[in-house]
Amino acid sequence: MSIEVPVKATGMTQPLDSTAASRDVQSPVAMQVRGLNFYYGTSHALHDISLDFPERSVTGMIGPSGCGKSTLLRVLNRMYDLYPGQRATGEVIFDKQNILNSGVDLNVLRSRIGMVFQKPTPFPMSIYDNIAFGIRLHERVSRSEMDGRVEDALRRVALWSEVQDRLSASATALSGGQQQRLCIARTIAVRPEVILLDEPTSALDPVSTARIEELLDELKTEFTIAIVTHNMQQAARCADQVAFFYMGRLIEVDSTARMFTTPREQQTQDYITGRFG
Amino acid sequence: MKANNTLMRADRSASLLWRRHMCDRLATGLSWLGMLIVVFMLGSILWTLLKNGLAGLNVHLFTLSMAAPGQPGGLANAIMGSLIQTGLAILIGAPAGLMTGIYLAEYGAGSRMARIVRFVSDMLLSAPSILIGLFIYMMLVVPFGHFSGFSGAVALAILAMPIVVRTTEDMLRLVPVAMREAGIALGAPKWRVILFICVRAVRAGIMTGVLLSIARVAGETAPLLFTSLGNSEWSLDLGRPMASLPVAIYQYAGSAYQDWMQQAWTGALLVTLGVLIINIVVRVGTRGGRS
Repeated sequence: MSIEVPVKATGMTQPLDSTAASRDVQSPVAMQVRGLNFYYGTSHALHDISLDFPERSVTGMIGPSGCGKSTLLRVLNRMYDLYPGQRATGEVIFDKQNILNSGVDLNVLRSRIGMVFQKPTPFPMSIYDNIAFGIRLHERVSRSEMDGRVEDALRRVALWSEVQDRLSASATALSGGQQQRLCIARTIAVRPEVILLDEPTSALDPVSTARIEELLDELKTEFTIAIVTHNMQQAARCADQVAFFYMGRLIEVDSTARMFTTPREQQTQDYITGRFG
Repeated sequence: MKANNTLMRADRSASLLWRRHMCDRLATGLSWLGMLIVVFMLGSILWTLLKNGLAGLNVHLFTLSMAAPGQPGGLANAIMGSLIQTGLAILIGAPAGLMTGIYLAEYGAGSRMARIVRFVSDMLLSAPSILIGLFIYMMLVVPFGHFSGFSGAVALAILAMPIVVRTTEDMLRLVPVAMREAGIALGAPKWRVILFICVRAVRAGIMTGVLLSIARVAGETAPLLFTSLGNSEWSLDLGRPMASLPVAIYQYAGSAYQDWMQQAWTGALLVTLGVLIINIVVRVGTRGGRS
């Protein structure tokens, strides 16, 4: 089965969010996936994926469990490299380079393409050091500059007011929602260009989820965001374009408005209306 | 003795129920018995040590070196020797064990090499300690022509190392994959993720392993007999024979002199109390979990 995939960036031609309606121009593309295949050993997990991630917008990736959306996310920062036996073929173009090439410096790549995980993963150190850890990896900054960077990152995830008095306290003592915002702060503190989020709210309560979703709206003014989610409402609320995956294939990608009102594929229609076999 | 079966349904076997009750009683009784035997043995050891050892506990014990029977003497040189040799053994054994444990958990993982290293380390864990003593005797005593405190410390280090290897590996395996990936995702090289995130996350557990290895080697006698030999005089020279509490106990307890036997009891009490204190520190430390 081969499916025609619209590879051109659709931009935000009909966003649900009316404030962005004026931005009718096609935004440049931050990452381009071309003819990507992925294998877990001998199991063929992604089939010929081609997808564009427009700059400074949110791409939502939806589909049933095991459809390959998280796998694709883990290709985009070469996380799969940790595991022998996993390999990808095809192209992922970022900053004019195919990041799947063996010569790519993975540490530099991952400093430019950050990732936030499903479960909050605070490091076993203080709140301050959680943020500073990533910055120290890539930059030499003075103590006062570091203080500023840490504060800035925490402010941007609206965590500063909650933790400013206990920056040296252990990060593991924070609530789940706070931990996840800390993880996002840690990621943006490194100043990446792209942020990958793998079901970032599935372990959180609705209030914390709402705060993270608000946060995404702000972050997309500066970062290119790819978010995997099981929550269809979340995709509808947060994403500018949505990609639907099924059984390792990209079935359809379009602006959020069109995806949720007039999808072209029957499978997409079935999935978003919950009539999935 | 029939079980109370007023609730018994006609279609259930009453004898089966009775048999289960009896099995339950029997198993509970046997575990109580086992527990009492162990507690009794430990209790009687402690009691004997306290009864016989407390009498010799005085200032001279800590200020005077070992002396001939009938002369005023203490165990100061043996206490110091034990502290030095055990301390040095941990300084050598703990970092080596830590690094080996990191290799097994993080780098070798499923490789053939790692399986061999793990097997050898586990074998060392259960090897008779006198063999280790003989080995070091051949390696560090015979070539230099004399016994030394240093060779004693190395023998103890070899005993301490596999304990640290095992706890480090087991602990690192408990670190969630997500924590590792989160470090990698920030662009951290693997070694930084291991040292600054994974090892940090389980540092309490690794400390426990180190303390347990101290407790293990502090009371070892056999590996020291062929290595540091023992010394009746005050000596801090690692290149010369060095006294230690276990060897002093071994020497004094087998003598026919009242005052030596008294000091052997007191020395044994000191070693036991030291190990007990380390174990309590481990318990208290791990109860707090991660800070």
